[in-house]
Amino acid sequence: MNLALDPVTLEVARNAFPAIANEMAVDLQRTSYNMMIYEVRDFCTAIVDVDGRLVSQNVGGVSHFVSDLGVIVIDAVERYGRDGFAPGDVLITNHQAVAGQHLNNIVVHVPYFFEDKLAFFAMVRAHWIDVGGSSTGFGGGPKVVDPWLEGLQLNQLKLYDAGALNEPLYRMIEDNIRFPESSMGDLRSQIAACRLATRRLEELFRKYGPATVHDALERVFDETEAKCRAVVAGIEDGVYEAETFFDHDTQNRDERLRLHARVTVRGEEMTIDLSGCAGERKAAINARTYAAAYVAYKALTAPLEPVNEGSFRALKVVIPEGNIMMARFPAPMASWSLIIPSVVDTIVAALAPAMRDRVPAAHHGLLGGSVVFFGRHPETGRNFVVQSIEGGGWGGRPGEDGESATVSVCQGDVRNATIEGIELKCPVLVEQRALRTDSGGAGEFRGGLGIDMNVVNLVDGRWNFQGSLRKTAPPWGLWGGEEGGTHTYLLKEPADAGFREIDVQGHAVPPRAEAVVRTGGGGGWGDPLDRDPDKVAADVAEGYVSSEAAERDYGVVLDAETLAVDVAATAALRRARRRFGGWSMVSTGKAFSQSLVSWRKGGNRRIFRTARHSGIPSSNTKERLP
Amino acid sequence: MTLLAVDIGGTFTDLVGFDPADNRFFHAKSLTTPDDFSGGIVDCIRQSGLDVGAVGLLIHGTTVAINTLIERTGAKTALLVTRGTRDVYIIGRGNRPEAYNLFFHRPRPLVSRRLTLEIDERMKAGGEVLTPLDSAEVEAHAETLAEEDIEAVAVCLLHSYANPAHEIEVGKILRRVLPGPFVSLSHEILRAYREYERISTTVVNAYIGPRVSGYLENLQTRLEGIGYRGDVAIMQSNGGTMSPETARHRPATMMESGPVGGIIASAEVGRMLGFPNVIAFDMGGTTAKASLIRDGEPTYAEGYHVGGYASGDPVILPVVDVVEVGAGGGSIAWIDEVGALKVGPQSAGADPGPICYRGGGDLPTITDANVVLGRIGADAFLGGRMLLDADAARRGVEDGLARKLGMKVPAIADAVVRIAINKMSLAVREVSVAKGYDPRDFAMVASGGAGPLHAVAIARELHIPTVIVPRFPAHFSALGMLVADERHDVTRTYLAALANVDAADVTRIHDEMVSDARGMLRATEDVEFLCSLDLRYVGQEFSIAVPVDRSMLEAGRFDEIRERFDELHERRYAHHAADEPVEMVNMRLAAVSRQPKLDLPVLAVGEEPGGATRRPVLLDDWEIPVECPIYRREVLPAGTAFEGPALVQEPASTTVLFNGDRCEVAETGEMIVSVRETR
Repeated sequence: MNLALDPVTLEVARNAFPAIANEMAVDLQRTSYNMMIYEVRDFCTAIVDVDGRLVSQNVGGVSHFVSDLGVIVIDAVERYGRDGFAPGDVLITNHQAVAGQHLNNIVVHVPYFFEDKLAFFAMVRAHWIDVGGSSTGFGGGPKVVDPWLEGLQLNQLKLYDAGALNEPLYRMIEDNIRFPESSMGDLRSQIAACRLATRRLEELFRKYGPATVHDALERVFDETEAKCRAVVAGIEDGVYEAETFFDHDTQNRDERLRLHARVTVRGEEMTIDLSGCAGERKAAINARTYAAAYVAYKALTAPLEPVNEGSFRALKVVIPEGNIMMARFPAPMASWSLIIPSVVDTIVAALAPAMRDRVPAAHHGLLGGSVVFFGRHPETGRNFVVQSIEGGGWGGRPGEDGESATVSVCQGDVRNATIEGIELKCPVLVEQRALRTDSGGAGEFRGGLGIDMNVVNLVDGRWNFQGSLRKTAPPWGLWGGEEGGTHTYLLKEPADAGFREIDVQGHAVPPRAEAVVRTGGGGGWGDPLDRDPDKVAADVAEGYVSSEAAERDYGVVLDAETLAVDVAATAALRRARRRFGGWSMVSTGKAFSQSLVSWRKGGNRRIFRTARHSGIPSSNTKERLP
Repeated sequence: MTLLAVDIGGTFTDLVGFDPADNRFFHAKSLTTPDDFSGGIVDCIRQSGLDVGAVGLLIHGTTVAINTLIERTGAKTALLVTRGTRDVYIIGRGNRPEAYNLFFHRPRPLVSRRLTLEIDERMKAGGEVLTPLDSAEVEAHAETLAEEDIEAVAVCLLHSYANPAHEIEVGKILRRVLPGPFVSLSHEILRAYREYERISTTVVNAYIGPRVSGYLENLQTRLEGIGYRGDVAIMQSNGGTMSPETARHRPATMMESGPVGGIIASAEVGRMLGFPNVIAFDMGGTTAKASLIRDGEPTYAEGYHVGGYASGDPVILPVVDVVEVGAGGGSIAWIDEVGALKVGPQSAGADPGPICYRGGGDLPTITDANVVLGRIGADAFLGGRMLLDADAARRGVEDGLARKLGMKVPAIADAVVRIAINKMSLAVREVSVAKGYDPRDFAMVASGGAGPLHAVAIARELHIPTVIVPRFPAHFSALGMLVADERHDVTRTYLAALANVDAADVTRIHDEMVSDARGMLRATEDVEFLCSLDLRYVGQEFSIAVPVDRSMLEAGRFDEIRERFDELHERRYAHHAADEPVEMVNMRLAAVSRQPKLDLPVLAVGEEPGGATRRPVLLDDWEIPVECPIYRREVLPAGTAFEGPALVQEPASTTVLFNGDRCEVAETGEMIVSVRETR
């Protein structure tokens, strides 16, 4: 009897593999030594088969690691051959030619054999706090010009060979990184998690036998694929496009950086084509990854289902070599993930006309909001680093307002550092962590708010600031909603009269400088004039929206004392506004409306700008597919 | 002195009483009275025929705290915080556990932003005052709140875990200017760092405070009204009891007040029968729960998110560690869009319930599958008082599942039960294997109406050698309350390298914690104080609680403490780092006053199980019905033994034994099943 056809065995396999990956993740997180793993969850754990197909991956971590370990296995098998592995092997790699990410992301993988036959690889990718190179932290930041300045190159090396530790290699790694006690601790945790997986796999293979396990997996992949196909089948066929811009690539400030997505839906199949994104840069913001397409597709098809090889089989991704998302070695990748959340948003936005009830307005769109201040503690003599990731506003969405102060679409269960935790460990004072009134884009469903985090350093040290990259194209609204506020960094040194915007990495400051980490807001969804006036009044009472903005953006007049809606005045103002503005597609003459995302569906290209009362095309044409 | 335990569930209020004088149990059950829960309790007491005047202690588990929170029916609450932190409660940790969900929801705040007021004051991390408290501002705030008809106020100032002076002062001003509202000061609820979690816990406490207080006062009044003169104790999430006065002050400790009883009872039954290591397994109508007990002690979590991790409210107070899965008797079996058979998490609940209950349910459930397999006897349910509709169950499985999958009805019913067993096995694994414990070293105690029906199969799956089915498995939670100890947990953050910890300092804090706990205790004698330190390697975030005692702290035996930590790390994570520095994060103290153990009544001894009938049941093979003996639990004598296949029916539950399983009945009536294929 073929047990693979038995619904029970299938359900067991469906549940067991994700459970193993999740158990690996819990153990890694609880034993790791750096906040990039235990708070930022900048890691993934997975089981991958010998052909590089994803068997299962953990839930909840950094989204842009989705299903991207297969290439590592394919590369390893090509190099060593299928017979080139033995039980007890542990491999380590971070090489960008294959991994396509910054070098801090260290992959450890362990082959699993069932009765002498190579079956799977257990894998953990985790962000180490340092990998040598020119600077601590995120691979030296976007300034780094090549991978060698970024750090150690580990290219599919066997750290353990059939159980025997390669001691010179271990010491070489230990001696060439800045925080060996932290990273070698993380390495131990990564290896332990992989070994845990091999024990769990052994139990499963013993119980069901390899043939049944493999048959069940094929079925699980097929079913996952079928679910995704069913969702795509519900989207009207067509070619959908959207584009947006970053102000610049962080180094060459003379040129905007174009992000573009062309999404083709035909029947059950979707193609995401990123050919229109900028080419690879000298700035280290390149990557070699399908992540943006995968995250967008996953969010639109089966956001709450576990990930496996079937999740992306009905998706075709087109990214030409030399694109910023498909950069060729040795293009620098230290800040590889910086733009990915905005690429995801652009792909999702392209489908807005086809999935009106499933696509939110833009979110703050940045991986950052990162708080990084480092120095040496004068009392303890030890180095310290203040690190936190602050969230921003998410776009308004059909039926509900966007959430405030939440991490980007590429980050899942990533938590900010607590104020008390920061102050217990580092000589700084957090003066405030506060929502920014009016930073959410106005809309029938309002965008979420960004925040201001004010930090005063009590000793001298250095700050990493990353200036605004979205001033010319802030997080866009949809269907007449307005754009959200943009992010930036501000600094006031003791001698300064006020705050100034700043955009410098490793900026040295004397004691008692005050920095503000300011995150962006989300765009609004729908015409603000259609927002329920009572909701606007409640927003004013709660301080999310100012009285001025209520009148200016929403056409809602409130009694100054009681904040009650003045019904007559509101109706009159809204009538006048509608006559004046209405649903014009392209607004002009508004200083604040630079650009946001342009849409194209079918042959006719239409560019929209978010502006008060601008809206959606009334004459969208659909391209006939050949 | 008679003891009474009352557990209020969604449908029924259960009462279990024990009279130690003549070693006798009482039971009563009445419909839960949602408008005034005390009504059901009073009904139960009346029904049991007890002499109310003779009852010395009534222990009560209730869902009033968790329901008030989940249904958002608590008080109009205000929050006072340090200048600059008004939005910390709304911002939370900024995370999105559902990584790909564009329509995620953050926790919904219980206090409006308008009623969150900042105070000019500031402590440093070490507890030194940086900005003195502006008392005038606090008074002004209190007056503002008075105009708002506020019912509760939470106060949470930065670093108050290190120095609570400002919070204490704010509390005094509030009580003076604003005498009515319920006030919660964060350091009195949770004296540990991490401001968001402390704010959330304190706000929850304040928000549910007035309603829980009203409930407890009403209960006491009603009890006095029927002549009750004894004490009342309330179950906490930590499995211990507390006085109603402490409960009114710290209602957030009552979140799991109902369900923990079953875990305490499992520990007690295990202890009595000589199994100190027990996995408590409870399966009710909507979920199944697993929890691990080691050396007679439950395992604890430092807190949890009420309503789920993704968008629930953090309540960081010690809670018995439970893993819950959406598989209960009412869980619905369904076929997803690609034709895969699924079980749960949707449940038919009590209303409309499984198809066979005749309550209008038309979706097949785990209970219906068991009826189709013959494992639940249609005419034996609730002792025959409720005749189940087996034909309808069969038709439901056929129409809803079998026809769509092209499989036979019994094959599908068998698959539904197996899938449920697999799901529940994962929960049991999570509390055992995943935490470094080998299930072969444990016995499983099965409770809940549906627990005994599935426990043996789960045990076989995980190689657990022994399953214990206690008496009255469906009233097990109330039984646990009868034997629960009085217990109070206190925590203090103390962040320092273990090597630099000052012995005198920690000894002083230990003694302060003892005194804090004594303030909450009803008992004054024979109190145990269990201390532990939360330790981690420098650089790690998560810590492990390492048990210590006062003498170790006083003598500064930190090397020994460190070795214990390395051992625990090795057990839990299969690696440790003896050369890495270790730091201390929190001190924890549990004050425990042990409740005298009950002498459970002994059954008459007999050789033969007696009273067996037979009927065909589908067990290991769905194609071949087994002519299976059906025993009646009520007449099983102590000392009897029998082999599977067999069913043991009792009014609210059925135990299933497969071929090769062997059951013995203990002196006190528990069934002890040796599971086939586990040794």
